Amino acid sequence: MKNRIKVLRAERDMTQEQLAELAGVTRNTIISMEKNKYSPSLKLAYRIAHIFGVGIDDIFTYEEEIDGPSGDDE
Amino acid sequence: MKRITYLTCTLVVACMVAAMVGWSMAAGNFLIPVIAIPLGIIVILACRAQVDIVIADERENRIRGRAALRTLEVVAIGGAIAAIILYSYIVSIPLTPIITGKLVIGDDGTQSMTIAEYKPGSVPGPDTLVRSTTINDLSSMNESEAFAYSSYVREGFKENENRGLAGMTIAGCLLAMLAIFGAFYLYYNRKY
Repeated sequence: MKNRIKVLRAERDMTQEQLAELAGVTRNTIISMEKNKYSPSLKLAYRIAHIFGVGIDDIFTYEEEIDGPSGDDE
Repeated sequence: MKRITYLTCTLVVACMVAAMVGWSMAAGNFLIPVIAIPLGIIVILACRAQVDIVIADERENRIRGRAALRTLEVVAIGGAIAAIILYSYIVSIPLTPIITGKLVIGDDGTQSMTIAEYKPGSVPGPDTLVRSTTINDLSSMNESEAFAYSSYVREGFKENENRGLAGMTIAGCLLAMLAIFGAFYLYYNRKY
């Protein structure tokens, strides 16, 4: 799952710490998501979309080659 | 309170509770653990309430879940192998010591017996001899000779029995662990 969290955060001049606090997660989770290492749950994805004031599709992009058919990022 | 302060607090409280429980057990005072353990839990929960940042989130929980599952897999496989190897000591003949008995009938009709224990898997001989005992007259075997006789049978297999016991303990722990895992699996399977 690819995402634009880093871009959206930079546009709003927001730090990782601030975003983590607003989303109710640790900074490490934000770092992992920005590196496309961690795919968030639907709940967290919606929460982040709500923080940025955009739709979920504007942040996250599903890619078959990366995520695999099951969507499990092992 | 920062995360590191909380973790330090938890560690200190856990050490204090463990020390108090250990000391009370040694002293025979069983009332202290009843007070110390709940008190420790309350202190840790109070510290946790003071933490102003997120300690664990969904990523952390997922990582812990996977780490726990991998640990379970490794421990289950490793434990099963160890249990089988250790248990095999009980049933494997080459691993058991060789015990021989030689009966000699004297001119006066008395029966004497020499019992010898040799190293496991070896050819009986002076080099492989572990110990031997001679019972001079079987018909008038005294208590110490009878004890020595039974100890050969008992102690000769004791080491293997201990290993077998360790193997059975590991197997028992594994089964208990898998049963607990199964119970939690069923619980969460119904819940989600």
